[in-house]
Amino acid sequence: MRRRKGLSNRVRLAAITAAAVLLGAVGLQAQPPGGEGLGHAMTRIEAPVAAPDFQLQDMDGAPQALSDYRGRVVLLNLWATWCPPCRKEMPSLERLFLRLRAEGFVVVAVNQWETPDHVFSYLGQLEVQPTFPVLFDRESKVADAFGVKGLPTSFLLDRQGRVAFRAVGGRDFDHPDVERTIRELLAAGAERPISAAP
Amino acid sequence: MPRAPEKTWGDRVSLSCEGLNNDGIGNTVVGGLTCGGTRARARLRLLLCMLCASLAAGAAEVTQRTSSQTGLPIWTVRAGGLSLELAPQLPDFIQAVFTSRGIPQEAANLIAADCVFGTIVRNASEGVISYTLADWRAVTSDGQAHPVKAKAAWVSRWRELGVTFRWLLLPDEQTFNVGDWSQAFTTVELPRDTGFDLHVSWSERGEQHRAIVEGLRCAPAKGPQ
Repeated sequence: MRRRKGLSNRVRLAAITAAAVLLGAVGLQAQPPGGEGLGHAMTRIEAPVAAPDFQLQDMDGAPQALSDYRGRVVLLNLWATWCPPCRKEMPSLERLFLRLRAEGFVVVAVNQWETPDHVFSYLGQLEVQPTFPVLFDRESKVADAFGVKGLPTSFLLDRQGRVAFRAVGGRDFDHPDVERTIRELLAAGAERPISAAP
Repeated sequence: MPRAPEKTWGDRVSLSCEGLNNDGIGNTVVGGLTCGGTRARARLRLLLCMLCASLAAGAAEVTQRTSSQTGLPIWTVRAGGLSLELAPQLPDFIQAVFTSRGIPQEAANLIAADCVFGTIVRNASEGVISYTLADWRAVTSDGQAHPVKAKAAWVSRWRELGVTFRWLLLPDEQTFNVGDWSQAFTTVELPRDTGFDLHVSWSERGEQHRAIVEGLRCAPAKGPQ
């Protein structure tokens, strides 16, 4: 009896160990692809809401409003030069913009806290310099209006100016999945007029 | 309701799950499964409870590497759906980072005097996770628990000095969807080179989780490099 009991315990232990290994494996498989990189997942907003409008100055001091871009799909990116993931994702934003701008897509980057002089000198050091609009929000009013807590945070707005997707933290924005999402938004509102490109 | 004892998972980290509750008569309850009762049934239940706890907590590991810039250690923690990276920051670096943003020297000195970590919090799960920094504690060898200082407290202090800056510090609470993450500084009011265990907690799929990351250390006054 004792032997049978011992064998039973060993079998039970082996089963438990195997199950634990299996559970561990499930846990590992649940990790997002791309390891500790930027990633590319964006969160769909189930009930898209109208993005709050704002007006800020660009690098040349000219005023620009978010509503100027109504009719296009807008990737609104809140960033700063001190933020490592902001710097890391910037080239992918530019590549995405260049690839899709002719189809009604624009990136609007809203810098937090910094001055145009500081940002101009930073952008001058980049291999890939952004050609999309960079606006300046010294008082972080746009961040407040959009409920942004940390940088970078990005929002994807549909052609109707509604917040359709959100991403907290840096992303690899020229990933095919992101491009596919933007193309879907572009197609969804393609019948609507597109405002003139700046 | 008393919390279940924490379990040790691998090296330098222990986890527990709020789903492990006591039913008030000495039995531990995991997701509706009661652990306890007669000795014979208790063994089987204990094993099942361990499995449930494994599922709730997920795989956990702590790795340590050395920063090529500072020569100081960087800890990476994977606990359930939470990924955490903690890198102690030298005071000179913190002063430089803040003053280069136009923060007055006095305000930069305040934060540089604390124990500062470069911190990356990442949702490593396929669901929603959230954290509240006010629940995190640095526990020193004398058993004293020191709160991770709230960003709101820093922003308020800076405002008193006429500074409206509010970035660079980890938000006090965040909800992360799939793929979301943050990189910023966290601070604890501890002297330089102080060792401590960090007690962290987070919510994952509606369940509260806790982990203890053992053997962390504040940066010294000067780096080894």
